[in-house]
Amino acid sequence: MIEFKDISLVYPNGTQGLKNVNIQINPGEFVVVVGLSGAGKSTLIRSINRLVTPTHGELLIDQENILNYRARDLRKLRTKVGMIFQNYNLVKRSSVMKNVISGRLGYTGTLRSLFNLYPKEDMALAYRSLERVNISEKLYQRSDQLSGGQQQRVAIARVLTQQPNIILADEPVASLDPPTSHQVMTYLRKVNKEDHITTIVNLHFIDMAMEYADRIIGMRAGEVVYDGPVSEVCEATFEEIYGRKIRDEDRVGGSDDA
Amino acid sequence: MTEFTLPPKPKKTAWQKMRPYLIGIILLAIYIWTFSSIEIRWSRVFSQHTVESLTRVIPQLFSPDWSAFGKVMGLMWETLLMAYTGTLMAAILAVPFGFFAASNMVKNKFLNTASKWALNAIRAFPELVLALMFVAAVGPRPFAGVIAIAIGSIGMLGKLYSEVIESIDMNVVEALEANGANKLQVLFYGIIPQIIPEFLSYAIYRFEIDVRASTILGIIGAGGIGTLITIATTNRNWSEVGLILVVIIAVVTLIDIVSAQIRKRLV
Repeated sequence: MIEFKDISLVYPNGTQGLKNVNIQINPGEFVVVVGLSGAGKSTLIRSINRLVTPTHGELLIDQENILNYRARDLRKLRTKVGMIFQNYNLVKRSSVMKNVISGRLGYTGTLRSLFNLYPKEDMALAYRSLERVNISEKLYQRSDQLSGGQQQRVAIARVLTQQPNIILADEPVASLDPPTSHQVMTYLRKVNKEDHITTIVNLHFIDMAMEYADRIIGMRAGEVVYDGPVSEVCEATFEEIYGRKIRDEDRVGGSDDA
Repeated sequence: MTEFTLPPKPKKTAWQKMRPYLIGIILLAIYIWTFSSIEIRWSRVFSQHTVESLTRVIPQLFSPDWSAFGKVMGLMWETLLMAYTGTLMAAILAVPFGFFAASNMVKNKFLNTASKWALNAIRAFPELVLALMFVAAVGPRPFAGVIAIAIGSIGMLGKLYSEVIESIDMNVVEALEANGANKLQVLFYGIIPQIIPEFLSYAIYRFEIDVRASTILGIIGAGGIGTLITIATTNRNWSEVGLILVVIIAVVTLIDIVSAQIRKRLV
């Protein structure tokens, strides 16, 4: 369970990233965080693995305040929290396998990892992760030879290889076309349901949020302005979150041909 | 059809109008001053003496003395080895400099600036000056040339390395940190794969430069083919100088072509 207790974050330049955030995220939930750019979505999910550190409040994961964590605890936390990025962030010149096995780095001793001496089970796990996102045939290719959607699937496989309890996805489909976006979201949800991994995704497309989320959290100017199950959300809710009328560009479309 | 007119140009101040003329006048003054102070004696440049030596020297330069080919190639080989050893030493020793001077790797402002300055300071010394110092220190042998090449190259390679490191995709580093990798793992999985091709490419480019530089070093006794140039010119053995030039030009061109091919494949 992830609990935000009165979390605020002020960046060194004075920007208020988060403002008195109080939320609870239950194990196995698929939460989509929506809001316009600059609303604090990224700051919210990056707080959970401490890529950014809130300046006030308590952030509990399984009853432990992670804001006190130092280097070693932090690395342990991060091995259990997988992250997916908008730009995939694969090492482009390395092979797909090397990228996916890097999900095991947190579990592997430094020397072993430098000489590529992974246990057989880890290699098998990495391969199975690739199979789960249907891209195992690209195993030995350089990752910059893959398309955007394929790279994002490799990024999902890397996260799966981590065997995380939580997956954070920061705008995972913002650089992809509609059909590919739906494919990536479908894989994320499949993983969430099959492995009961708590999944928190930042999105700005409202139709996509509605289609995949169990629960929607709306943010504006660093504050949580909406929090509820997807069944209670309608277009008016989004207009409230965004503080304006819904426009065409807020939808990705193409959900039927996914 | 209405006539289209651009909005009026912003008014220039008097200073802005004057500036180009002023710069022109200053440049002209510098040229006049330098030419007047080097005191070229045109009467000597176009004298009977010049014409005579030219007619004597130039035909000899163009009829290389192939009997010295073995000797020249031997020394050219030594020159290449000097350049290779020197560049290799620099290519390795410049790596820590590159990391320390890269602002995205070392957050300590003092260490960062100090390494950048050190690299600038090294680059301020021409190889020839370094070689003079090492000839004095270790004696007139190729080793002096190797050290001079190595130190001279560290300055440039360290700077280029640091620029390569500063231009890597730090998001990849963030991603690896986010899955629990430690600093060494981030280095080997995230940073090194991104920098290796550029590092190699710059090292090979520097080898090209060092081959050219080490042909000269022998003139002051630091080993290589330069020694032969000095001996041949003092003996006025122009046809041997001609051969040396032919060999240097051929070898340097060959190395340029090969290195360009390798570098194209690397990046």
